Amino acid sequence: MNLTLGIFIIILLITLAITYWAAKRTSTTADFYAADSALTAAQNGFALAGDWCSAAAFLGFTGLTALYGMDGAFYALGPLVAFCTVLFLIAEPMRNTGKYTLGDIIRSRMQTRTSLLAAIAGTVVVNFAYLMPQMAGAGVLVRLLTGISYDWAVIFVGVSMIVYVAFGGMLATTWVQIVKAVLMLSAGAIILLMILSLVHFNPLTLFAAAEQKYGAKYLLPGNYLKNPFDQISLGLGYTLGLAGLPHVMTRFYTVPDAKTARRSVVWVMFLAGAFFAGTTLFGLAAADFVGQDVIRAADKGGNLTLPLLAQYLGGGKGTFGGDLMLGFVAAVAVATILAVVSALTLSTSGAIAHDFYVNWVKRGQVEGKREVWLARIAAVAIGALAIALGILAQGVNVAVLVILAICVAASANFPVLILSLFWRRFNTGGVVGGMTVGLVSSVVLAMIGPAMRGAEALWPLVNPTVVSLPLGFLGAVLGTLMWGRDAENEQRFDAFLLQVHTGVASE
Amino acid sequence: MGKHLDRNEASLEAAHLSVRRLIAEKLRYLVPMTMIFMVSYIGLTALAGFARELMGTRVVGSLNLGFVLIAFNYLLSWVLAITYGRIAADKFDPLAAKAAMETTELGKPR
Repeated sequence: MNLTLGIFIIILLITLAITYWAAKRTSTTADFYAADSALTAAQNGFALAGDWCSAAAFLGFTGLTALYGMDGAFYALGPLVAFCTVLFLIAEPMRNTGKYTLGDIIRSRMQTRTSLLAAIAGTVVVNFAYLMPQMAGAGVLVRLLTGISYDWAVIFVGVSMIVYVAFGGMLATTWVQIVKAVLMLSAGAIILLMILSLVHFNPLTLFAAAEQKYGAKYLLPGNYLKNPFDQISLGLGYTLGLAGLPHVMTRFYTVPDAKTARRSVVWVMFLAGAFFAGTTLFGLAAADFVGQDVIRAADKGGNLTLPLLAQYLGGGKGTFGGDLMLGFVAAVAVATILAVVSALTLSTSGAIAHDFYVNWVKRGQVEGKREVWLARIAAVAIGALAIALGILAQGVNVAVLVILAICVAASANFPVLILSLFWRRFNTGGVVGGMTVGLVSSVVLAMIGPAMRGAEALWPLVNPTVVSLPLGFLGAVLGTLMWGRDAENEQRFDAFLLQVHTGVASE
Repeated sequence: MGKHLDRNEASLEAAHLSVRRLIAEKLRYLVPMTMIFMVSYIGLTALAGFARELMGTRVVGSLNLGFVLIAFNYLLSWVLAITYGRIAADKFDPLAAKAAMETTELGKPR
């Protein structure tokens, strides 16, 4: 445990040095929200990998595969495929159209205050639904790894993210994510090499060993996701939900143009994709070498599988190699959470300070210097709220919130975003309709489902995306038709398309 | 952010026309490419849900069809990403540059 703490303190000092460096370079609004749009494709690719791989990916996928076989591999594949949607349809238009937030795009397309308000609601709900379980997860993880209490662990994570964001803005957040991605990928590469050397570089051995130990059923789907529609919901939620996650999508504002945005997606697809594929092998290896009983004994959900596997590969419990590997993986897991919660805090501060206060309340009439200060204050306030919610969430089942975040992103934000970019007739009524129906149906169905109510569920699916996503689109289309034709908006659409596809604003 | 320019209506019309051509070109490639990954991935999740036994068909040793299809989806995503990058650079970027140039050029004082 002391070794873990030592490695983690080194990582923490590096991130604080980054923040100090970034703070000196962060003075304008463009610096604060978008790192002055000066990143390269590779830098943004690494940062995207750091942003998108939450602890659920880093620890969860390996654990799910170790305990439930193929379903874990399904969980790991979706987040890669999701980037196809982003690459083909979202990344370049985002870069060309917006400035700092998801709300920017809706505002630029609709130019109405009501639609901006709807976009803000979508961002804030998704971000908090994502942030809360991350904070609760951080509390449990840091407590398990270092021995400090849950409350202090949450406070520590919260204060760190506030420092990164409030002082260093997007630049600090980006480099924290890059450092984390490099550490995560190095850990993955080392573990993979060690596993492969144990099986004489024949991964098929892992499948054979798993089958021998746990039976053929272990390698079949359906051990974790029992309801077939939950499988499909998971797939849909990932493929379309990522494009509706504001904290990931705002990363495209940090590069200078659409071409760089595109290349950064290709980078993340190889970096994160390779890691996701690795987790399937890690899981099988853990089931084989460490054993499901030991994994379950350490944590029922399997979240400590990867640290345990690392410890085994390093030489086992009590050896220096084993402790070093465990410490390294555990410290990377904490860095993983820090990188993700920082991005969520930054993106939420954009929605509150930039979208709501500056553009909605003040109608854009705020001087640049003041806007940066507002953004910093918003980051502190959001961080403090996240700490409070994280502490309150102890012992509460927050798993439903993770599902909810991705479900609302897919069912409310995604339809509104995609229709804004591609449908001429889409109007303010459609934004409000899509956002409301997508949001309400996701929340209600998730709350009455098995994730929240267990055996007393009023509805069979854990993840309601398969129903709420079509409902979100329906709400958007009906809202548009009921609102009536908006001739001015439709006329402006040509100019908007010019900007979406070329980056040239013609107003 | 883009450049803010003054220009007359007719020149803007030319740029809008180029953008429409660009969108048509994008749709020509992106519709089939999107169909490919959606069918492949959502199809896989549907098979996992409704054809569990089929997914268990052995391919090599203990490796079954399900894992092979999962691996195929990884490869497919990577191939599509590279392909998209190529197509965008070869086909979309020149058209986007043309539209952007039309607006810039015609915005210049004569």
